[in-house]
Amino acid sequence: MVDADRMFGDGDVKLRSLTDTAGIFRRNERDRLECEMERIGIVFPQIFVAVYTGRIGEMANLRQFGFWLLNRGLFEDVPVEKPNEAGILIVIDPDSKVSGITFGYLLDPFLEEQDTFDCLSRAHSYWLEGRYAEGLLKCLAQLRKLLAKRARQARRDPEKYERKVIAPAAVGNLVRKIRENNFPTSAPTEEGKEVRR
Amino acid sequence: MLLAQGEPVKTLEEGSLVGGLFLDFEEISAAEKEKKSPASTEDGQEIAEKYLAAYFAGKPAGYLIDPQGLLAADEKKTLVKLLEYHAEESAIDLVAYVFRGDQKIPREIREETSLERLPTDGKSAAVIYYFLGAPERTAMYLSPMMAARASAAEYQRTLASSVMQAVASTSPFGQFEVFLEQVSNRIYSMERITKSSAREPIPSQQGSQPFSEKKTISDQAPEISLRMKRMVPILAGSFGGLVVLFCTWAWWRRRARFRFPEFEIEPRMGGSHAAGIGAVISFGSPAIPPAIQRNRVPEYMRRA
Repeated sequence: MVDADRMFGDGDVKLRSLTDTAGIFRRNERDRLECEMERIGIVFPQIFVAVYTGRIGEMANLRQFGFWLLNRGLFEDVPVEKPNEAGILIVIDPDSKVSGITFGYLLDPFLEEQDTFDCLSRAHSYWLEGRYAEGLLKCLAQLRKLLAKRARQARRDPEKYERKVIAPAAVGNLVRKIRENNFPTSAPTEEGKEVRR
Repeated sequence: MLLAQGEPVKTLEEGSLVGGLFLDFEEISAAEKEKKSPASTEDGQEIAEKYLAAYFAGKPAGYLIDPQGLLAADEKKTLVKLLEYHAEESAIDLVAYVFRGDQKIPREIREETSLERLPTDGKSAAVIYYFLGAPERTAMYLSPMMAARASAAEYQRTLASSVMQAVASTSPFGQFEVFLEQVSNRIYSMERITKSSAREPIPSQQGSQPFSEKKTISDQAPEISLRMKRMVPILAGSFGGLVVLFCTWAWWRRRARFRFPEFEIEPRMGGSHAAGIGAVISFGSPAIPPAIQRNRVPEYMRRA
């Protein structure tokens, strides 16, 4: 994060959830995109989606930029009850022809890189032709389906996802506890020694 | 005793004993044929004109119509008894027209006329054209009310099975008797089934239907339309149900809200809100499709 701050700045950045700095969307396309983003926000009351388009710079890493923006961004049109942990940020750099998705800690147990890659793949053919809005709409539609699926799975089996986010230290403690229960650390009894012999 | 040609037969008929030498078997068989089928003198396949009026002109006098006298008196008596008994027991009368096995009904005579001429006392009737010695040629015609009560296939089965039973018998009279018994029994049992289902007679425009012929599509049209009429409410109900289900499902989907369980996650890489996990894709060249880029995720970004 320190590296990212050094590269992009260490202050908070105020922006709207749909920030088209690159100017790749037309007015009606913006409306359609905002509508779809709002819909995701309604269907998933904890989550919001933000889109940023702009030139990142040749030296910069888009993944790093997404990471930085989701941590430093202050999304003006997002309700306060939805923190950035619940955000999904899509960044498109039309100059370097790269795009990426970053999501907050809330979705950490439920989404994988491959899931987000599938969402971006849906838009790939559109973006190749410069049809950014259409591609982004496809990407959002796929994201909505995926989130719905994950939410259903998480409702059925929350422990499965909880296990994913248990800190390694905690896992270590758990293993130690299990071992301690199975093999008591007390000195072996005479009977035990006989059995071993 | 010397007998002239033709005399042995006469003597036999009178009940006298005749020596074998005097018997002329060809003559006897010819005489028997003469007796059994008096109308055989009429040359050709068509029924002689003089009998047509008796068959088809007026209302039938009884249940057995045999103006040609193809049946012997006692045979006729037996069959008339059978048919009268059936008429008493059943709501469906059986009227049998007897023809010679090789005879043809003239084309000018419509089969339906036999039904039209039946006494209309509210009873259903089945008219049978029976050809002595050739039961397979038998045709049965039903009054419209009867045709509406049960399906044509049922009557056709009745006719077919009765003919099969009749064929097993050797003598023409025996065949006819067995045939009538079978038809009578089957119609009576069908009638009982129909009564038990307590269905109202459906007015049918089908009219009489000769079962010895196959039904054409145009003949089946009223039956099909009747079935379609019955199917329409069922289909409409099913379709309506599906539409309601679909609308409910669509409404439920639109109203559905998904929530994720919230877990406590330790911040990573100094990020207070996100750890920067997520995919990146390049769309600079069509030569690099997403499939190639799928696994290009730097290790340092993977979740610990």
